[in-house]
Amino acid sequence: MPITIIAPKPARHHFHDSHQTAGSDDESDTSSQQGASLDQEGDIQMLISQSSRPKHSHSQSSQNYNIVTPGEVITSDPQWMRGHGTYMTPQTHNIISSVAGTISRTNKLLSVRPLRARYTPEVGDLVVGRIVEVQAKRWRVDVGGTQLAGLPLSAINLPGGILRKRTETDELQIRTFFAEGDLLVAEVQSLFGDGGASLHTRSLKYGKLRNGVFVAVSGMGGGGGVVRSRRQVWTMEGANNGGLIDIVLGVNGYVWISKHVETAAVVEDNKDNNNKPSVGITNMEEVVSATMYSSQNDKIEVDTMREIARLRGVITALVENGLRVDEDMVVKGYHEAVEMALASEGGPDDVYLGGERGEQLANALTGV
Amino acid sequence: MASTQTLLSPAELAYLHSSLSLTPPIRPDGRSSTQFRPLVAETGILPGTNGSARICFADGTEAIVGVKAEVERTKSALTTTEDETVHRLEGEFVEGLAGAGGNSAGNIDEEDNDGLEGQNEWVELSVEIPGYRDDDSGTVFLSALLTEALLADGNLTKKLRINTRFHWKLYLDILLISPPLSYPLPLLSLTTHLALLSTRLPRLKSEGDEDPFFDDDWAAAPYLYPRENGTSGKATLRPPISLLVMAVGNNIIFDPAKEELAVADVALAVSIGDGKDNNSNAMDTDTRNLRLLSVRTIDPPSRLTPPGVPNATNTAYGAAAGTTAQKQPEARAAESEAVEGVWKPPRGGAKPLVMAALVQKVLEKGGVTDEVLDALDAVELE
Repeated sequence: MPITIIAPKPARHHFHDSHQTAGSDDESDTSSQQGASLDQEGDIQMLISQSSRPKHSHSQSSQNYNIVTPGEVITSDPQWMRGHGTYMTPQTHNIISSVAGTISRTNKLLSVRPLRARYTPEVGDLVVGRIVEVQAKRWRVDVGGTQLAGLPLSAINLPGGILRKRTETDELQIRTFFAEGDLLVAEVQSLFGDGGASLHTRSLKYGKLRNGVFVAVSGMGGGGGVVRSRRQVWTMEGANNGGLIDIVLGVNGYVWISKHVETAAVVEDNKDNNNKPSVGITNMEEVVSATMYSSQNDKIEVDTMREIARLRGVITALVENGLRVDEDMVVKGYHEAVEMALASEGGPDDVYLGGERGEQLANALTGV
Repeated sequence: MASTQTLLSPAELAYLHSSLSLTPPIRPDGRSSTQFRPLVAETGILPGTNGSARICFADGTEAIVGVKAEVERTKSALTTTEDETVHRLEGEFVEGLAGAGGNSAGNIDEEDNDGLEGQNEWVELSVEIPGYRDDDSGTVFLSALLTEALLADGNLTKKLRINTRFHWKLYLDILLISPPLSYPLPLLSLTTHLALLSTRLPRLKSEGDEDPFFDDDWAAAPYLYPRENGTSGKATLRPPISLLVMAVGNNIIFDPAKEELAVADVALAVSIGDGKDNNSNAMDTDTRNLRLLSVRTIDPPSRLTPPGVPNATNTAYGAAAGTTAQKQPEARAAESEAVEGVWKPPRGGAKPLVMAALVQKVLEKGGVTDEVLDALDAVELE
């Protein structure tokens, strides 16, 4: 089946914990839509604007959603305090939403959780970024935030792990380390006053990315997407002779899935321990960072490529169905996807997880 | 015309290229080579238009098309006089010109040229892509491509004729309402197709050459593309569609996503018209009569990508890299022989055999185009 065309679904119901009361199932009664606690003046205003929106015949079932849009008055009652995602105009008590999202209420604090937001960097975050600009002494990196992050030349490891001051020669050949378009994994080192971030790659875990595919999903913000968790990087065994696969979940929502590569020196070292100088704590950096700036892919087996595509499908399916993306969900989703492929007519080689299959996967994970 | 550039690293490009060159290809989203992205479609969404449609891809790209019609006085009523021979000659001359343009390969029927030809100015099409100017070359190219497909077989303009003095003027507004996450041609074309299918024009009450007078009853308005049995059923004649096809290695890939197009060797926009054959419709109503209307090459962004640097010439590779004398400060500029695992942008033109294979694959009986049209048929029209 080369194409699937689906009829549009009614607007998605946004569940949220705070103030859905039992009374709101009566759809014709507009005053009960907001639940018991929020039926102030401002809400009536909001309801009027809602009911005047053009409606489709199928939107009957979705009348009790609580999405506010920027500029919409949430309430004008002075008893509420304004939280994130809201603002007040001077001389009034109106709390107005500044983002599109769902209202959340903590005691007397009203805040709006955005449906979708850009990444706000925090120190220590592991991010995947793409070089978009090369300047004299630094790179500008797209990390999905409001501003480009900076990666100074002094914050990278030099090849071979040598430690010295960066010279003019390094500045001249800055593009041999990273050039426009290159992907890298880095850590947020510090933040500027305006919210911009400065990155560093001074660890063996960080550096240029190769041997895999990139997928951008939404990061820390609202909705589904990558969440901060204990482990953002892990290696897992691919099914069907997939071999080892590395996954890097950047906190900013950029994800890298690649074949796991043992560093060449380590493999050699295992082969003949006698002739080569072994990798010790003293020269480990030297050995590992030798391949750090390579843009040549290793040989990747077909099975590995297939499992990488399957993992990418799992991650996009999770995001499309509004689920969080972390190690636990990805691993569970991957095993589920392998099972699903076995049962499908395409056999285990079928890695497609779009459309209905993605929903099926999400349902299996959430246990619906 | 170049499609929009996507920034990808040489390692990514090399990976994508090698996975798409496999047999069967492994696409990054796991689709098979002929599979389209799942899409959500509805029609009749804009009450103020004669016909409208909305299509939304799963990746979030969304397009809306509205069709508006208004009555316009035909400028030169003299061209459609009873003098059949003069008109016939003119018609052939115009067709000859179109053929000399080299792009309309359609075999335009010369038999039913019964003096009811329309004019190309009767259809006006505008494309709007957010973030791009109206006169951006990409936008202009897209609208030219879509217009070309619509006008190529002359079926649409023929329907717009009211009488010798008046005609309908059709305005098609094509809006992409999300940022162009992938090359939007197939999306815009499919949406236009659905919008035109759902277009209805008021029923004409007047007769002959008198001033046109229409029925007020919207329910009685006939479809621009008439149905088999009145208001329900399949359309007998359908608007054209344009599909984006690309080739990587020996593989032919339909509906490429952004990353896939970035490693394409060749990318083609193929417009196909579908008309049930007028002469033989009694025998086989099921088979379509697919006709090639136009083929345009899309300049794949892969040609402009920087090549990857093999480890052998990489000055930042290897343990001794930092200490050796640097011979090439700008090592990326050097182009090397093909090395396994290193990205090398395609050079030179497309091979004629590949182009032929691409077009053949699109026109294949019972192939992808047929299934796409079947799927579009199944969309409920409001």
